[in-house]
Amino acid sequence: MTIVPNRLGVKFSLKHEPALAAADIVPIFQRWIQEHRVEGMLIDVIDYKHVPEGPGVILIADEGDYAYDFGDGQIGLHYIRKRNLPGDISDALLLTFRLALRAALCLEDEAPGDIAFDFSSAKISFLDRQRYRNEQPLYAAAQAGLSAILADIYGCDVALKRAYDDPRLTFALRVSARADSVDGQQLLARLSAGAQTSKIKKINHRGTEANPTK
Amino acid sequence: MNTWKEQLAHQIPAEMGILIDTFEAQIELRKQGKLDEKVFAEQRLRKGAYGQRYDNGQRHDGVRTRELSYPSGALVKGPDTLWDAPGMQRIKIPYGGLTAEQLEALSELADEYADGILHITTRQDIQLHYVHIDDTPDLMRRLAAVGITTQEACGNSVRNITACTLAGVCHDEVFDVSPYADAMTRFLLDHDDVQDFGRKFKVAFSGCAGHACGLVKMHDLGLLAQTRELGGEIKRGFTVFVGGGLGTVPQQAKILADFVTEEELLPLAQAVSRVFARLGEKKNRNRARIKFLVNKLGIDEFRREVQEELKTVPHDERHTAYLDTLGDFAYQPAKAGLALNGAPLPDGFSDWYRTNVYHQAQGGYSAITLNTPLGDFTAMQGFQLAEIARRYVGDNIRLSVEQNIVLRWVADVDLPAIYRELREIGLADAGAGTIVDITACPGTDTCKLGIASSRGLTAELRTRLIERINLLPDAVRELKIKVSGCFNSCGQHHVADIGFFGNSRRSGNHKMPHFQVVLGGQWQENAGSYGLAVGAVPAKHIPEVLEALTNRYVAERADEEVFQTWVKNLGRKEIKAMLQPYMKLPSFDDKPEFFSDWGDSRVYTIDDIGVGECAGEVVSLFSLEITRAESAHFEALLALDDSNYPLVDQQAYKAMVLAARALVRTKYLDVGDDYGNIVNEFRSRFYDTELVYDRFAKGKFARYLFKRHDQPPTQVGEDYAHQMIDETQLFIENIHSAEQRINGVIVS
Repeated sequence: MTIVPNRLGVKFSLKHEPALAAADIVPIFQRWIQEHRVEGMLIDVIDYKHVPEGPGVILIADEGDYAYDFGDGQIGLHYIRKRNLPGDISDALLLTFRLALRAALCLEDEAPGDIAFDFSSAKISFLDRQRYRNEQPLYAAAQAGLSAILADIYGCDVALKRAYDDPRLTFALRVSARADSVDGQQLLARLSAGAQTSKIKKINHRGTEANPTK
Repeated sequence: MNTWKEQLAHQIPAEMGILIDTFEAQIELRKQGKLDEKVFAEQRLRKGAYGQRYDNGQRHDGVRTRELSYPSGALVKGPDTLWDAPGMQRIKIPYGGLTAEQLEALSELADEYADGILHITTRQDIQLHYVHIDDTPDLMRRLAAVGITTQEACGNSVRNITACTLAGVCHDEVFDVSPYADAMTRFLLDHDDVQDFGRKFKVAFSGCAGHACGLVKMHDLGLLAQTRELGGEIKRGFTVFVGGGLGTVPQQAKILADFVTEEELLPLAQAVSRVFARLGEKKNRNRARIKFLVNKLGIDEFRREVQEELKTVPHDERHTAYLDTLGDFAYQPAKAGLALNGAPLPDGFSDWYRTNVYHQAQGGYSAITLNTPLGDFTAMQGFQLAEIARRYVGDNIRLSVEQNIVLRWVADVDLPAIYRELREIGLADAGAGTIVDITACPGTDTCKLGIASSRGLTAELRTRLIERINLLPDAVRELKIKVSGCFNSCGQHHVADIGFFGNSRRSGNHKMPHFQVVLGGQWQENAGSYGLAVGAVPAKHIPEVLEALTNRYVAERADEEVFQTWVKNLGRKEIKAMLQPYMKLPSFDDKPEFFSDWGDSRVYTIDDIGVGECAGEVVSLFSLEITRAESAHFEALLALDDSNYPLVDQQAYKAMVLAARALVRTKYLDVGDDYGNIVNEFRSRFYDTELVYDRFAKGKFARYLFKRHDQPPTQVGEDYAHQMIDETQLFIENIHSAEQRINGVIVS
């Protein structure tokens, strides 16, 4: 499966519920716009924290949105790339992972110790029902290819499973790195280097990047 | 891989497919510069694809106004509307009726093209926000495949036709108006006679006179169900209202016809449309709603025009063909209606049952209201709800004008089970229709016209009220609150017990978000009467104002005295005195938090939606003078309470002249007190130069003054007095805004 969806999302969840209130995210995101703390043409902040298990607080950008998200009952940083996705699925995943990771690390900096993400797992959403119907045959066909790409991203083996069985919902996967722990900064360094060479596989092949998770 | 167009080709009705294909072609032509931006904008609006805040490419980030550099650069989808800027897609849901399949389709689109949220509007539409224009053709195709259109959801045409949420299951209705709303929707959609309006045209149906659900008296065309014995036979028909509306100058609709039969309904609507298209204002959009035409002609002449027009309406089989299919509109409950069986009830059920459950006219069934906060629900909730609906009620889903979802035909025996399931998906909040169930327009969150954060204020009030809902007396619990982000009334603040609409004031060199407090509107009796503004209060004081009002109402009300009556009896003078402590403007240094809006940490400004600022500062003099104008306006309000309409006219006129004088004196101190001189100086210095022009309304508000000055009324009745009050209020607001733009060293 090499088709790039119209939209691609990556969400990292928090390890534990923080003391920081959702309302406190609004000024943080507003400041991120002022200081251009995350990538993209940042536009505005929209507050949906009144909606149960919703997108929470969203930093809207032209290319992709950053949400302090409550979906699936898990608080996390959800980056949805909306436009200008690379034409290759591995590049698209690399880009989306990298931007989600970078934003999550920025958020950790806002409340050190309180906001702490579990980077060893992520939810990946393929927001495109035309190309990615949420059905088992599609998953079966895509699993091996996507596992390989995600293993390259993490630098270790990964476990993959469908996030939802309901065929009406988004085709979404939960990926877990088979590693004791994943350090966000090291993973970001790895992905940033991968972004510079376009294909993360090239790093592995050249052997210039130590695997941070093994 | 197929495109959506190919994939859905056989599911989309041919005529809808053509409209969408044409729009897609127009998108391409516009991109190539082969279609004029204004022409494209009108086409885009007629497809429900609306602009959104900051689509002019400017946004104040709290420190400075930043240019938003979109990839398509200067390409626009309308005047001052950049191509790549996120937009809003409005989706018509006639009379709010949805099937489970349609709800799923809408949820898919929220997921894939928007921000994951579906927003219910006060016209029973669904709105998706942050949609890219390039995505709209496929979005429309996917809607068309399940029988939904966005055609004429915006633009100068017939908007979504609304009807009572309980139509067909209500105890008090004369008959079910749903099939008639459906028939009129189909008949007028894309009809030749609704393509040449100067402004939008809103239609509503109501099944009874007493309740609020249909709100026919605030509509351009309102249809109230009636029956009458004709020729020994009971005939169904409607009382027809015309020329109502909220907006900047609210007006109660007038009766066009006491009774028209169901056979006469569609021809009459067509005739009204033709008269509106033929005689309605086209050039000045600020006076182009049908209410202005009805006022200009008078209702008798308007009626005569319609009757004459009826003679020219060509025969059309569709006028009556729908009557043969009325029987097809029978509802299909998913389950047999059985009474509650005494099984144990889940926690929280009783509170929810008290406020959210309506026992239908059909025994054993109930309609339940899902209280959606701020009218929002997620795509995931949409899918989950569709599944619940299939199991319990089938396709009997409605959206309400109070921005909620209603499931009808719930078997009473299933109420505890459905409550449990709705609680699981976060849609079982109690308090539907009570003070916590606040209506709000999008306001500064996404609307280009928003002045203050209606949603931010609503979220704050809602949170505070929910915390103490069980402590509130019934009289307070039953109050309606409605909030608009500006004077345009999308939040329907005129028809609430307590309404608020956004405006701004300055304190020193900063702007401060405010809300006008509007008291005593009537929701019942189809929006029976409108409230009036009693004063502007800093946004951050509104929760205290609400508490002060409700506490005093509870303490002082006579037995069973409703809020409207209490307000009237208390009098504006006393109410204003009550608000006065909250109306004082703190300085930026003393209370910086007052210079940010609710839910927005930025220092407040609306400069990024208006024109730029320039130098100069005459703060204290202007503040002093404008206060005199506001006092005169208040005197006019008091006169209105006393039904002293000539005095209303005098005081309102005086208020406008004083407000104009306040602005003139910032440039010409010696203007003097002569009204003629003041108006002339105002006209030449501020109107002819367009300095007083509002970005959207242009010179409309200034012309209120000129109209009154040049053409004093020969007769002053109640309608005129209300209009004069509203126009004066808007004129004063316009002067405040103009002064901030023209003279201020506004730093925020």
